[in-house]
Amino acid sequence: MAKIETGALTGSLEDYLETIYLLICDRKVARVKDIAKARDVKMSSVTPAMRRLAELGFVVYRQREFIELTDEGEEVARKTMARHDLLVRFFHEILRVSSQSAEKDACAIEHILSDETTEKLVRFFEFLRACPRASGDFLKTFHGCSVINPDVAECTERQCDFQRRGRRKGARKGVTSLAAIEPGHECVIVQVTAKGAIRQRLIDMGMLPNTPVFVERKAPGGNPIWIRLKGFQLSLRKEEAAGVDVTV
Amino acid sequence: MLGTRKYSAPPGHRIVLIGNPNSGKTSIFNALTGARQKVGNYPGVTVESKEGAYKFEGESFDVYDLPGTYSLTCYSPEERIARQEIMHPKPDAAVVVVDSTNLERNLYLLVQVMEMGANCILCLNMSDEARKAGQQIDVEKMSTLLGFPVVETVAHKKLGIDGLKEAIAQAVSDPADPERLVLGDRLDRAISDVEPMVAGAQWRSLFKPFPRWAAIKLLEGDIEAIGWIQENCEDHAAIIKHAQNIAETLAESTGMHPGLYIADRRYGFAAGLLREARVTGMRADARKVSDWIDEVLCHRLLGLPFFLVAMYVIFWLTFTMGEYPMAWIEGGFDFLASWFNQVLGGESILCSLIVDGIIGGVGGVVVFLPNILLLYLGLAFLEDTGYMARAAFLMDNLLHRFGLHGKSFIPLITGFGCTVPGIMATRTLENERDRLTTMLILPLMSCGARLPIYMLLIPAFFSDELQAPMLWMIYIIGIVLAAGLARLLRSTILAGEDAPFVMELPPYRMPTFKAMLSKMWERGRIYIHKAGTIILGLSIVLWALSSFPSKTDYAVDSEIAAGVPLSAEETAARRNAEDLEYSIAGRIGGVLEPVIAPMGFDWKIGTALFGSFAAKEVFVAQMGIIMSLGETDEESDSLRNALCDQYSPLVAFCLMLFLLVATPCIATVAITRREAGKWKWALLQFGGLTALAYVLSVAVFQIGSLF
Repeated sequence: MAKIETGALTGSLEDYLETIYLLICDRKVARVKDIAKARDVKMSSVTPAMRRLAELGFVVYRQREFIELTDEGEEVARKTMARHDLLVRFFHEILRVSSQSAEKDACAIEHILSDETTEKLVRFFEFLRACPRASGDFLKTFHGCSVINPDVAECTERQCDFQRRGRRKGARKGVTSLAAIEPGHECVIVQVTAKGAIRQRLIDMGMLPNTPVFVERKAPGGNPIWIRLKGFQLSLRKEEAAGVDVTV
Repeated sequence: MLGTRKYSAPPGHRIVLIGNPNSGKTSIFNALTGARQKVGNYPGVTVESKEGAYKFEGESFDVYDLPGTYSLTCYSPEERIARQEIMHPKPDAAVVVVDSTNLERNLYLLVQVMEMGANCILCLNMSDEARKAGQQIDVEKMSTLLGFPVVETVAHKKLGIDGLKEAIAQAVSDPADPERLVLGDRLDRAISDVEPMVAGAQWRSLFKPFPRWAAIKLLEGDIEAIGWIQENCEDHAAIIKHAQNIAETLAESTGMHPGLYIADRRYGFAAGLLREARVTGMRADARKVSDWIDEVLCHRLLGLPFFLVAMYVIFWLTFTMGEYPMAWIEGGFDFLASWFNQVLGGESILCSLIVDGIIGGVGGVVVFLPNILLLYLGLAFLEDTGYMARAAFLMDNLLHRFGLHGKSFIPLITGFGCTVPGIMATRTLENERDRLTTMLILPLMSCGARLPIYMLLIPAFFSDELQAPMLWMIYIIGIVLAAGLARLLRSTILAGEDAPFVMELPPYRMPTFKAMLSKMWERGRIYIHKAGTIILGLSIVLWALSSFPSKTDYAVDSEIAAGVPLSAEETAARRNAEDLEYSIAGRIGGVLEPVIAPMGFDWKIGTALFGSFAAKEVFVAQMGIIMSLGETDEESDSLRNALCDQYSPLVAFCLMLFLLVATPCIATVAITRREAGKWKWALLQFGGLTALAYVLSVAVFQIGSLF
């Protein structure tokens, strides 16, 4: 089979091929109307795409007629679909990503992966499922690691570098926003995440990383809050305090 | 924009004062310049400008009090104006006023002024308070380290002012070449990488930015400065690209966004300076008393009740203490009026102009002066003690829901007395959008001048048990409309990100009576000025409109000739009514009738509405004249009976609604124009509120008529 010139084929065109392939499998025919409906786009944007695909030799397209895939077109469509399936399963089954996210992410990256990477991924995937030496234990250990899965008890393995790195990351769990600190408590600023004028004002007021801040009180209704830092006192709204990450 | 302002060289040395809000900058300004000052607005913005002058050892100095700011970024009009004034025209000296009890953060601003290459003088204000709290500064060492004069002052006691004047004179005659500001190796290297390109650039403008400052702004990514460079620099693309590269490298090596890193280094410089030059620091419990007061006054449950009591006391004092001088002023104007009546014979046009036009118009406004001055004194007390910031803290939650700011509360509540001081009180709001929103909705706070109208109409049309709820309802309608309108404004023409509420809460301080008086006077004189100019002028215009053309043959005369028996008093009253009907105002009322008919109003109400534009309470007197009842006031039963005969309670309600919402009086329009800086806002307020009133009144009348 001829090597496909993928350079000319954009992600969106690949998606169209996939859609046409599915429609043909499903209903034996693909019309512009069906394609538009399946992809939730306007018919007026499908037509130029079809014309382009016809130019590239992936489909046979004449106005007001059914669209057929050429051999090359079918090959690309099938490849794209296979890649998509593979990615969804990898994300979902191995990485334990929710099936929604897996579907979404697969859609996003399937067109970018080179043939080489796809090939290696397939091999890795097959290896994980088939190799008698690694398979079961390897995946079980991975899924049972407390750094990956917050539901399991903390691992007692002290030598593990991965655990240590995870714990450091876990320490970020102690990072909360200044808005969440109750009156009478002290915290230390980690970073200012607010944007624009508010960010600038917070910084100008000395709310820099590593500055200790004491929450004095809250106004009636819990907003604004009253804080003490660097020997002076400030009031700021909760929405503004939410843009300051602190650690207790 | 930077450098485009026209400027003619002043006769004296140009000195700018810059400092944080609450640093006592204004006290320094007053102590330096005394009474010789000019208060105004920067063109087109609501930012206050202040100029003054003094002489020292035969030389004259012009002092410019820049808006109080915490920083010199591009994010607020105050900061943009301040930095523009520091750059161009270049001042002969920049006095940086700092609060000695809070040096670290105040010095952060000093660093930014130094970055701009200004000829600095550091003024350590409130040094007595800091010393009492145990802080000791080695002034000489600090001055050596900084490379320019450092002076300790206590502005409100006028201590150290001579020393400051001397330092200024010395700095002007011998501009110190400030030591290169050291912000740490990495940053200094980055700055020096960008600086030469800026210094060597070709500029299209006459004004050339200080290279070091421009380099820092480029690294920080300051939008305004970069925009200006794009406009005015020939090789801007290369410079900006180069600066971006350096900024990226800086971000990589420090792990911080350049803006954040630069701020961090400025604080680092301040801390370093204090480590060297501060012998002993403030005691940790320096704010103990202040904190203890806050425990009570800003208590989560007790805070609001305390605040309401404080407001009540201020208003109560304002109105009870104001009564006496008000009576004197009224007596004075009455005396003047009767004197003119006697001297000029009572019937002449000149007499009518002076008595009805000028004395009536200006007197009606000046009579509120004692109230306004007392209210300002009270507000100055709240401000100078530091309680105002706490009040904003307590009220912000409620007001922010309507797109307002905690500090809007005081102006709004002042508006229940009189809209004019309310609008002037919006000066405490730092942000332009907050200020404009507050100003535009302020007339909906039913002012004292509208009370006589309600007092006339409500008892005339509504039964006893309905009277109090009716009055209450009118006030509530105003508040609800104001809240709705504020939201609307903030989501349409005044839409935009909220200004940061991040606000300092300074420790409580005992205010000096003198400072309070000067604050009161500074604002009070604007009111007097207003009464003497625009209100005087418009009073005369309105008087003319309701006096001309004069009628010569009265219908009442032919009635008398036909033998209808009328007393002299009745005849005069009828003549006055005919005069008013015949005048331009009366005719306008007539012409307006088809327009106001959908609200249930006739030409008589139209004529009186026209008069209410001068001052709302004039409506009552005009209604009396047009009903041929002679002198009337809101207690007049004859007027009430006459109104009852001609109008329905529905019309009366629509009338109150219309007068509540519509057409702010002349004084309000004039003060809005002045404070907002543009006619646009005054006209929007005038037109918008009148249109709203019209729509509401028509809707109420038309729907009400169905039942």
